[in-house]
Amino acid sequence: MNEIIDAYSTPGTERETCLTATELLKLMDSAGIHRAVVAPEDREIAVNNTSGNDRILRMAGQSSGRLIPACTANPWLGRSACQELRRSAAAGARMLVLAPALQGFCFGDELPAELLAASAELRVPVYVHSGPHSFGSPTQLLLAAAEHPGARFILGHCGSTDYAADMPAVLASAPDNVWFELSLVRPWAAAAYAKAGHRDRLIFGSSAPRNCPAFELRMLDALLPVQDYPDIFGGNFAALLAEVQS
Amino acid sequence: MIVDCHTHWADCFQSRDGLDPSRWLADEARHGVTHALVLPYLGLLDDRLLRQENDDLAAVCAASAGRMIPFCTVNPFRKVEAVAEFRRAIEVLKMRGLKIHPWLQGVSINSDAMDELCEMAGHWKMPVLFHDGTPCYSLPSQAAMLARRHPKTTMVLGHCGLFEHWREAIAAMRGAENLWGCLCGPHLAALSEIVRRCDCQRLLWGSDFGFSFADVAGYRLGLLQSLRLNDSDYERITAENPKRLLGPVFSN
Repeated sequence: MNEIIDAYSTPGTERETCLTATELLKLMDSAGIHRAVVAPEDREIAVNNTSGNDRILRMAGQSSGRLIPACTANPWLGRSACQELRRSAAAGARMLVLAPALQGFCFGDELPAELLAASAELRVPVYVHSGPHSFGSPTQLLLAAAEHPGARFILGHCGSTDYAADMPAVLASAPDNVWFELSLVRPWAAAAYAKAGHRDRLIFGSSAPRNCPAFELRMLDALLPVQDYPDIFGGNFAALLAEVQS
Repeated sequence: MIVDCHTHWADCFQSRDGLDPSRWLADEARHGVTHALVLPYLGLLDDRLLRQENDDLAAVCAASAGRMIPFCTVNPFRKVEAVAEFRRAIEVLKMRGLKIHPWLQGVSINSDAMDELCEMAGHWKMPVLFHDGTPCYSLPSQAAMLARRHPKTTMVLGHCGLFEHWREAIAAMRGAENLWGCLCGPHLAALSEIVRRCDCQRLLWGSDFGFSFADVAGYRLGLLQSLRLNDSDYERITAENPKRLLGPVFSN
């Protein structure tokens, strides 16, 4: 059986993301997920970048390779953010998470330019949370991706819910350095994206514990069978990670 | 009995089935849904079509043996016409509530016409269901302010804030006793928090089925069942609360 990789989860310590590593691994086992990205929780993305990155790196380090650490850095920290990315990547982080709404910037403006340049140099993909409405729209990310062709971007959630209407045009016109992560995308929409010819850019993610991975996978599998789309459920993301400098 | 409190009758069904709801009902019945509160679709997008759509929706629901409960729409941007059409929908078409989609219809929840429509709805004891979760016209807090101004009118957040404003939806429902919420749109963790923190007597469940042929009811009912509610809360949300909201309109 092909490897299933969950490209986004948030095993956190507060609010709706409370989840221990042990609990996450159990959820993965029950869903048949082999590996999963673990990302810092909201407060860590907004303000406690370093302690959040360290928590995630520790968690991943104790998982026998099943948990893939992501890191974050707030672009408002300027060069310190770049240093934090480099430090985290050197310690094993494989993806940079940006959440414009949490971090207080509009994706597409010049603020994250240095950070994106550093991610490009390290070949670390940049996961960008889409939504809420004014920050992190799919179209903002497309502009930024064209501006930073050396960086590789993953559009988290594909603009769900209210930018879903943009997605056919976004998918059709996305530059080669953009991939699309499917957590919070409803199964019928994900299937439509795949069947419109974009399977090589789509990446499965659950956003556990906001969603239940087993339930989401089961619902997706009914419309987008896992065995028929191994690229979406792991292959595309594995190829992205393979380029990350270690 | 399971009542789906957020569905639509879209033009794709009408093109295929005319005014016959049999296949629409069969799609819902496959998931155990017995009754549905049915909202318009085209009339939300183009107010030139809303009068005809109210007629069609009333006819479709009349052919459903009491399983589909029709809500009308009007466009508050055109106040005089909106008031007249709401009156016609209630008195002539016997529709059971009002759906407003402020974002698509281009009018703020907090507008002069909305105030008048809400007073009418309160007088007739008709609920007003809003699309919510989308700035700048459809925030839960905007609906809460309207609800506070019209305490005799029952209002419903049609999506409980979607993915991004569900915390605001919790605050809105806690801040306005006549504001209800339909569990239709937020992710699982958000649904869990809404159920935990809000008055369960004012919660409904909905699928948003009917925009297209996509089979969405199974997914959203699965989410509700994933919450592992106790039997009485599940019964409240799927059956008892809709009955209290709408009164004696359901068939067996």
